[in-house]
Amino acid sequence: MKLAYFSPLPPERTGVADYSALLLPALRERLDVTVVKQGRKRAPRGTDTALYHVGNNPDAHAWIVDALRRRPGVVVLHDFVVHHLVAGMTIGRRNGHGYLDTMEREHGVVGRLLGHGVLDKRIAPLWESRPEDFPLAWFVLEHATGVIVHSQAVHDLVRAAGYEGPVWVVPHPAWPVPAVEPARVAPGPVLGCFGVVNASKRIPELLRAFADVRESHPETVLLLVGPTSSGFDLDRRLQRLGLDERGLVREGWVDEQRLWELMAGVDVSVNLRHPTMGETSGIAIRSLSLGKPLVVSDVGWFSELPDDAALKVRVDDQEVDTLTAALELLVERADVRAQMGRAAVETAHRRHDLERVAELYAAALEEAAGGAKVADAVLREVSEAAADVGISPEDAEAGEIARRLAEVELGR
Amino acid sequence: MRILVTRPQVPFAWGGTEVMTDRLVDELRLRGHEADLVTVPFKWYPGARVLTQAFLWRMLDLEEVDGAAVDMVVATKFPSYLVRHPEKRVWLVHQFRQAYELDGTDLGQFDESSEDRALRRKVQALDRVALGEATRLFSISQNVADRLERTTGLRAEFLPPPPQELDYRCEGYGDFVLSVNRLDRAKRIDLLLEAAALDSSLQIVIAGDGPDRRRLEELALARGLDGRARFAGRVSAAELADLYGRCLAVYYAPVDEDYGMVPFEAFLSEKPVLTTTDAGGPLEIVFDHRTGLVVQPDAAELARAAGWLREHRDDAASFGRAGKAIAAEVTWDRAIERLLA
Repeated sequence: MKLAYFSPLPPERTGVADYSALLLPALRERLDVTVVKQGRKRAPRGTDTALYHVGNNPDAHAWIVDALRRRPGVVVLHDFVVHHLVAGMTIGRRNGHGYLDTMEREHGVVGRLLGHGVLDKRIAPLWESRPEDFPLAWFVLEHATGVIVHSQAVHDLVRAAGYEGPVWVVPHPAWPVPAVEPARVAPGPVLGCFGVVNASKRIPELLRAFADVRESHPETVLLLVGPTSSGFDLDRRLQRLGLDERGLVREGWVDEQRLWELMAGVDVSVNLRHPTMGETSGIAIRSLSLGKPLVVSDVGWFSELPDDAALKVRVDDQEVDTLTAALELLVERADVRAQMGRAAVETAHRRHDLERVAELYAAALEEAAGGAKVADAVLREVSEAAADVGISPEDAEAGEIARRLAEVELGR
Repeated sequence: MRILVTRPQVPFAWGGTEVMTDRLVDELRLRGHEADLVTVPFKWYPGARVLTQAFLWRMLDLEEVDGAAVDMVVATKFPSYLVRHPEKRVWLVHQFRQAYELDGTDLGQFDESSEDRALRRKVQALDRVALGEATRLFSISQNVADRLERTTGLRAEFLPPPPQELDYRCEGYGDFVLSVNRLDRAKRIDLLLEAAALDSSLQIVIAGDGPDRRRLEELALARGLDGRARFAGRVSAAELADLYGRCLAVYYAPVDEDYGMVPFEAFLSEKPVLTTTDAGGPLEIVFDHRTGLVVQPDAAELARAAGWLREHRDDAASFGRAGKAIAAEVTWDRAIERLLA
């Protein structure tokens, strides 16, 4: 099968670019893939179907959605919330009406009024203040002949949004662990948190919990790696909690090699999130491959991690207390860390194996290309057989047949 | 318990699955269960018929029969495991192999058209749903379990079925190598004929029948094997036990076989098994120079291996006895205990 492949790719520094760099060689072993040059808005001639990687970042994905609108195809929805993308493709192109129309179509008159508020700068941009309440996914879904998602949670969101086409859950592939020397930043237990430092990564809650852990386990160290979001005053928070001089090791943006070294050197990997945009965490996947016990927020994709590999912290009034208890458990119990680490590696191998993921992609794309014809053939034969014995579409028996077909995903 | 065993039926064909399921029903009855067999004819071509014929199983209502509940269904082979039941156990003989490892080979069914590609994927999707529903999932070999996990992510417990009941005995180690198998291309009987063509002292007896028989007989004729290669056809149980009892060794080397009863039957007759490195399931019990000889799938190597056994009959006997110890562990008592647990 000939596939046109639309995605950001390295040297772009995005998670989706890294993802495609990992996936493409394995996919090419199964399909005839043509990678479409960045910025081109048409699929090459002669391709059977097109695959569009869509995320929330308009700089990386607007050209891909432009191409999708010209030729519908299979969408890989890396984020369910694409409000920022929509804003970039409407307001960012001086098309305020397009933004208002999209808001109204997905959220009614209230959506349109809020859109006016944004355009008139009377309220904060919704893609910054409340994106999870206004995901605007239909902007992308309406052009998709099929959708690939990374979690059951996003699958359910796509269905709840009214999408009726095929949806496939394909796990995020795991990177092969490079041969790196683990970088230990302290002799005591090291808790690691990797990625952009901001409020949605629950850094304020993590710092408070860590301060509590330090009271009973002063030898514990928190390693915080990643650039700080503008507007997030990390230093002041550290000062307030007395963590500015002790217990915290800070590194900003690091390259891939250093990232693996630092991740390999921690005892526990903390990966919190709220709100979630329906995304998967490449950092969490790397942690699984490295066999690190995970502490995550009990939301979205993170909730679907196996319980024996990840401790899940609910985002509620008790969040900091729960997080403190989880961290203390892992700091105190080397046996629990080892057990969770083994489960993490097992999960990476079983669920996130690259070859398995590529096979699931090939299956989804082949179904997308020829599935309608197969469904027609099945329905034709079954309905003819039913008609031959006098079952008409209105009969209860026809309903039974339809239910049984749906159970095994035959027909439409 | 009231238990139904399900298997598809290919009219006029008879093989390992039929033997295994018939016996399972008998053994369940022997242990006081009310057991019966359910079969539905299966035709897998052309086009989407593989799906519509499979779907017939989905329409069956086996939860209750004649006013009395059915406690359990034991499904075996595609597409019989599409059947619905709250206590569906699957003892997987094999999936629809044309949609998996046979795809793209001479034994495949689906071409490169988008419709056929999608059809193949739909068969795989059916497996994920239907096997995913099973309350317990067993496989007849580790090879089948590994293939299942690779292709669907589902895990099955390895549960080997015991071989058919025969008057197994060892009456020495004669001059001929015995092949017991259905005669189709995947069973690779031609490799044994080519080996006989290379070693004029090698005698073979081929028990079994099938669609490849004519081609194999012509090959034997072309290689001048008249008198050294005997096509015995479908043989009776008594004749089979006799052949097992008198042969030097048993040849069994299909391509990536699921399991195969034949090595167990050979072992129960204290005979070593000649197989190849790519035979799949048989390699779970045929170990080189322990219970048989494992060679590359090459006629010259096979001829050499058969010759070696002829010159080392004590070793052949020793391999056969070691195999018997393995085969003796596989009993219906153990199989049924796990199946119903």
